[in-house]
Amino acid sequence: MKTDRTTVPEYLAAAGVVAVATAVCLALRARFAPIDVAMVLLAGVVLVGARYRKGPSLFAALLSILTFDFLFVPPYYRLNANDSGYYLTFGVMLVVALTMGRLTTRVREQREAAAERERHTAALYALDRDLAAAPDTDSLLTAALGHLNKETSGETTVLLADTLGSVGDPCWPHDPPFDQPDVRIAGTWALEHTEPAGWSTENCADAAALLLPLRGTSQTVGLVVIRPADPGTPLSPERLGTVRNLVDIIADAVERRQLAERNERVRVEIEAERLRTALLSSLSHDLRTPLASIEGSASALLDDPGQFGIEDRHDLLEGILAESRRMSRLVTNLLNMIRVESGELSVQRSWQPLEEPLGVALLRMDEPLREHPVTTDLPSDLPLVPVDELLLEQVFVNLLENAARHTPAGTPITVRAWQEPGEVVVEVGDQGPGIPPGEEEAVFGRFYRADPAADPGTGAGLGLTICRGIVTAHGGRIWIEPSHGQGTRVRLSLPVRGVAAGLDPVEVAGEAQDHA
Amino acid sequence: MPNPLILVVEDEPHMRRFLRTTLRANGYHVVEAATAREGLMQAGGRNPDLVLLDLGLPDRDGREVTRELRRATRAPIIVVSARGQEHEKVALLDLGADDYLTKPFGAAELLARIRVALRHSAQPPDALEEPVFLAGGIMVDAIRRQVIRDGEEIHLTPTEYKLLATLVRQVGRVLTHRQLLQEVWGANYTGQTHYLRVYMAQLRHKLEADPTRPRLLITEPGIGYRLREEPARSRIDSR
Repeated sequence: MKTDRTTVPEYLAAAGVVAVATAVCLALRARFAPIDVAMVLLAGVVLVGARYRKGPSLFAALLSILTFDFLFVPPYYRLNANDSGYYLTFGVMLVVALTMGRLTTRVREQREAAAERERHTAALYALDRDLAAAPDTDSLLTAALGHLNKETSGETTVLLADTLGSVGDPCWPHDPPFDQPDVRIAGTWALEHTEPAGWSTENCADAAALLLPLRGTSQTVGLVVIRPADPGTPLSPERLGTVRNLVDIIADAVERRQLAERNERVRVEIEAERLRTALLSSLSHDLRTPLASIEGSASALLDDPGQFGIEDRHDLLEGILAESRRMSRLVTNLLNMIRVESGELSVQRSWQPLEEPLGVALLRMDEPLREHPVTTDLPSDLPLVPVDELLLEQVFVNLLENAARHTPAGTPITVRAWQEPGEVVVEVGDQGPGIPPGEEEAVFGRFYRADPAADPGTGAGLGLTICRGIVTAHGGRIWIEPSHGQGTRVRLSLPVRGVAAGLDPVEVAGEAQDHA
Repeated sequence: MPNPLILVVEDEPHMRRFLRTTLRANGYHVVEAATAREGLMQAGGRNPDLVLLDLGLPDRDGREVTRELRRATRAPIIVVSARGQEHEKVALLDLGADDYLTKPFGAAELLARIRVALRHSAQPPDALEEPVFLAGGIMVDAIRRQVIRDGEEIHLTPTEYKLLATLVRQVGRVLTHRQLLQEVWGANYTGQTHYLRVYMAQLRHKLEADPTRPRLLITEPGIGYRLREEPARSRIDSR
């Protein structure tokens, strides 16, 4: 039965109904026979019975009997009944009240059970939906905690198996409620028996928390600890059942998620291993080729008994220099690659004219660009861009090196830049064979080579990958502009938001005018 | 200065050999040190005319060594370091080092830096300013505050002129962003690097034939600027 708090109003209501029925009878006493009065009172009892449980309807019946006897059965205003016929009336009233109350209670219980089932289903459904939507284990657990808190009006903690250890383990949390011996005992019991324990259960029921193991298909994946707001009132068996179902769903989801994450880790490791192997083989080739030429030339010069002419010596020395510079660029690129890959690329932006990093790159690439006329077209009103000059210089060096390497000697290279809303776009174009259609995106992948067979030893194919890493770190984009077989045009955009702090273009222009 | 003495502080034996051979072949005396401790001792005892200081010494931090070297000797210090240590290089230059070389570098670059550093150290700081001819047909007349390019006067704003004059006084030497900002704009502006960049760009547009391929006003990425005193002798020497 329900607690007193909920039934007191029902008893009051029952008394009220009887009072109203009595009032009606009193008003019509002159015209009513006692049997009519009994009918009216009976109607009141039926009404109470239909509406409330057994207690209030019995109460209404007794109250009606007393009122009837006291007010409507002669001798009036005394509790006695001369006519034994009235005992039948009293009896009927009691039977009606009991029957009605019983019926009502049953209907209400059925309705409540249906509502509970509906709530249960809804809770499971909502949990399932939220768990499916959670992108990772953390948000999955957060969602699960919310549902369990709602269901139990308590405070829920989930301990996952990999952080759980045994209860004696120092990893086991030392905060409340885990610092209480009975909670620890209940936790141990729950994990050992893979059954709920503690509050609201039959096992270690004194513990101030409900402990439910997260049972996966193969192993226990964790432990749910629910600290109730009111430990004095246990959960109803139905509610406990719902909680257990919720916990099973959570266990299932956690296990699936953990398996998926483990698979993903393995996949990433395999991929990383594959890349390492590719990088190593590519590197050993790309570093050894210039090294071989350096070593060969140097030893030839050293062992020369005097046969080389001045020009031969100069050629060999120039080869050594050019090859060591190539290696130097490759090593710089590799170091940048590692920084991009490891996420350690820290961009130190400062506002500057684009021609500055471009100028440095052109100077550095003076020798490799000897065979290619380079024209630059940067409008004089191009705004300052917030970039890391060393990194942007690397981008230009890589783009210019690619252009020089993949185009026939003598063909021009152009560098253009222009302003677009919110960004500055730079284009490095050449007149070479271009990039095969459909490969415009692939060239930015690691170890891409234009034609591995025909063009060996021309770099580890890292140049554009690094460019993309650097440009992306600046919040920009880099892509190949479709060229329809007319050379290659690499474009990159650099976002320009706001202007350089404290720099007033008017002041700059104004000063220039004053003087001129 | 007959046969200046150069102290090479470098822990890498092959690098020391390259430096020793190159310097001796070009008429310098060389004294070597493999550690900072040894280098500081030599600096005090041998009184070198110039110090080549490697930044990656195993025993001491570069800033400490620079500070102590400055206390021991007035000889110019040229810092030798790898690319990517720009912050450290700037710190050392602001601490009193005179110039730097980024590994790998060629012999021509090394000798040019040494020549410039020795010349500046021989000059008293308040040497009489006289007209300076620069490459590319540029002449800067410090007395008349005039800049002539190919026989025609170029109009510079006061700030542009001040910037150019600062570089001319230290021709051939690197000047950090901070040093230039302090000299031209004042101590309160040392963080405003973009001022410097904008004025440098304007100066290039007025003085350089192709501002994107400067031959005079050289950018030292991440560090500052250098006014080149002569045109690059051959393409292969330029870097």
